[in-house]
Amino acid sequence: MTRILLKNKLDDCIAAWQKAGYSVLAPVQRHDMSSFDEVQKGSDMALDLILTERTIKDQFFPQTEPLIKYNISKKEIASETMTPPDKKRVFFGVRPCDASGLAIDDPLFGWDYKDDYWFKRRENSVIISIACTEADDFCMCTSVKLSPDSTKGADVMLRPLANGNGWQVDAVSDRGTALLESVSSLLEESSDEAAPVPQVAEKFDVEKVMEWLGDKENFESQFWKDISMRCIGCGSCTFLCPTCHCFDIQDEGDTYQGIRRKNWDSCSFALFTMHTSGHNPRNAQSTRWRQRIMHKFNYYRGKFGVNSCSGCGRCTRQCPVDMGITETLQAITNLPR
Amino acid sequence: MGIQEQYRSEAASLLSSGEVKLVIGFGPGTTADRRRALFARTAEEAEKLVLDPACIANLTTYLVAGGLLSDGKKVAIFLKPDAIRSLNILISESQVKPEQVVIFGYTIENNEIKELPGHSIGDFANLGEKLRTATAPPSVQQEAEKLEAMSPAERFEYWKEQFAKCIKCYACRQACPMCYCRRCIVDVNQPQWVSTSSHTLGNFEWNLVRAFHLAGRCAACGACDRACPVNIPLRLINYRMGKEVKEAFDYYAGESSDQNPVLASFSQDDPETFIL
Ligand code: SF4
Ligand code: SF4
Ligand code: SF4
Ligand code: SF4
Repeated sequence: MTRILLKNKLDDCIAAWQKAGYSVLAPVQRHDMSSFDEVQKGSDMALDLILTERTIKDQFFPQTEPLIKYNISKKEIASETMTPPDKKRVFFGVRPCDASGLAIDDPLFGWDYKDDYWFKRRENSVIISIACTEADDFCMCTSVKLSPDSTKGADVMLRPLANGNGWQVDAVSDRGTALLESVSSLLEESSDEAAPVPQVAEKFDVEKVMEWLGDKENFESQFWKDISMRCIGCGSCTFLCPTCHCFDIQDEGDTYQGIRRKNWDSCSFALFTMHTSGHNPRNAQSTRWRQRIMHKFNYYRGKFGVNSCSGCGRCTRQCPVDMGITETLQAITNLPR
Repeated sequence: MGIQEQYRSEAASLLSSGEVKLVIGFGPGTTADRRRALFARTAEEAEKLVLDPACIANLTTYLVAGGLLSDGKKVAIFLKPDAIRSLNILISESQVKPEQVVIFGYTIENNEIKELPGHSIGDFANLGEKLRTATAPPSVQQEAEKLEAMSPAERFEYWKEQFAKCIKCYACRQACPMCYCRRCIVDVNQPQWVSTSSHTLGNFEWNLVRAFHLAGRCAACGACDRACPVNIPLRLINYRMGKEVKEAFDYYAGESSDQNPVLASFSQDDPETFIL
């Protein structure tokens, strides 16, 4: 027997979590865009979307984040750290590829320096994933060795019931177990079957890709120029990616007072590597595109033992010129060797 | 022979004779309904060119990217009327030499591809009149009217909500053929003129700067709007700016390639409504 959460108990669940001090965030569709945002009841949620346009990453690594306030006067230099909020949050209805994205980024934010802004939010959040029952042409979680029901990065895993009445519920971490305790009276025992997960075909051979990228001979390959000619160098593939994590530190204000902020940045932008001398070591879009692929499937793996891609497919789904990582990795897979 | 086949073979012969170094057209995309830019350098590659009603992108943005035309060689490109309009603007702003561009013109009417005969920009001069009288799609006009009917405070709220979504990816800029500045104002960081933060102020700064820089220059091809990953209705801003310029100066951007850019020219008849 498994435990199930019936759809008609969802509102009670949300109320119980709110009572326990949590905000509940879920996929929502607002102002012609889908993202994760706070909800009050089940009907606020857009759970039928294959994926939200914007990722859950935004909620842990906001696009712009105030770090410190500074004030420099003749007599003293004052600064005040703007600590990230302590708010407890439940994320309901996260897709497995988005939850995996968080787990993929954890080592990065905790490596030589523990980024409080990321970890405070991580530690105060419970991730409830829902296994997919539908995929589209862009989904590629299986190509990066994940799956539509992967529990990576999740605290609780839900599997939609075949009869559409609710979800099978499983805790996959202590945090998830604790959260489920608080609603145990709302869960029922049942033997209802879960709906099957979609077949997501493998689109490239990630082992072959990593091998080719690891060969220094290929760094200057004409391949990079040919494949990236179409790329217009907008940063949308990086900003919509659940694992891209580059940022820039900016002071807003003047020499004497202001706010220091951490803002998203993107390897797709020319300015990203521009030196103050005017020299730019990545002076063409092809070198920037190469960097994006290399970072995700070579350097990141070398440093943290995992690829920096969870296979959500957003980079292709939302690329204005229909590029994206899938095509490049397919092409690498098929290169004569 | 359909137009696709006709253009394929013309493209192939331009490439094999060495008349052009590159053909910028369309090829199949990731999914059945997507088309993507295809860059053909050989006659064999030209065989893969696709021309059908899904070819809606404005490819002129590639003409001004990465110094493509700086070697003086010729490039052929597939253009529909709004893209021809943006080519006119690029020529009048001295960004493209007309003799360097061979055009494969087409229109999409009732979901069918029709040939626009001619190969050089001069062959499309009669398009100007047609473009001038063309109206924005009813959906855009309706939305624009809705906005006009709002009070300034309501309108501000509307844009605040829309711009709050902006992630400053600059896809709108990159997709736009008119955004060819080698150094965009938002990329100037010494000093930082426009903040890179995506807070209300930062997002307004970016979107308004772009709107002003496009006043009297937008070809209404919709590239920015389609590119925006968070669905901000950028078409409404450009529509409004185009309307302002038309009303104030009787100027319609891109109706011909020898027009004087409206914000870079002076006429004694210009209205001086803002000078007290
Ligand atoms: S990529 Fe996989 S996990 Fe992500 S939405 Fe598609 S099927 Fe689900
Ligand atoms: S791949 Fe697409 S989304 Fe990414 S930078 Fe290039 S054009 Fe933009
Ligand atoms: S690289 Fe593309 S597919 Fe991989 S996680 Fe990022 S957006 Fe998703
Ligand atoms: S494309 Fe959209 S999200 Fe990106 S910078 Fe432009 S308005 Fe903002």
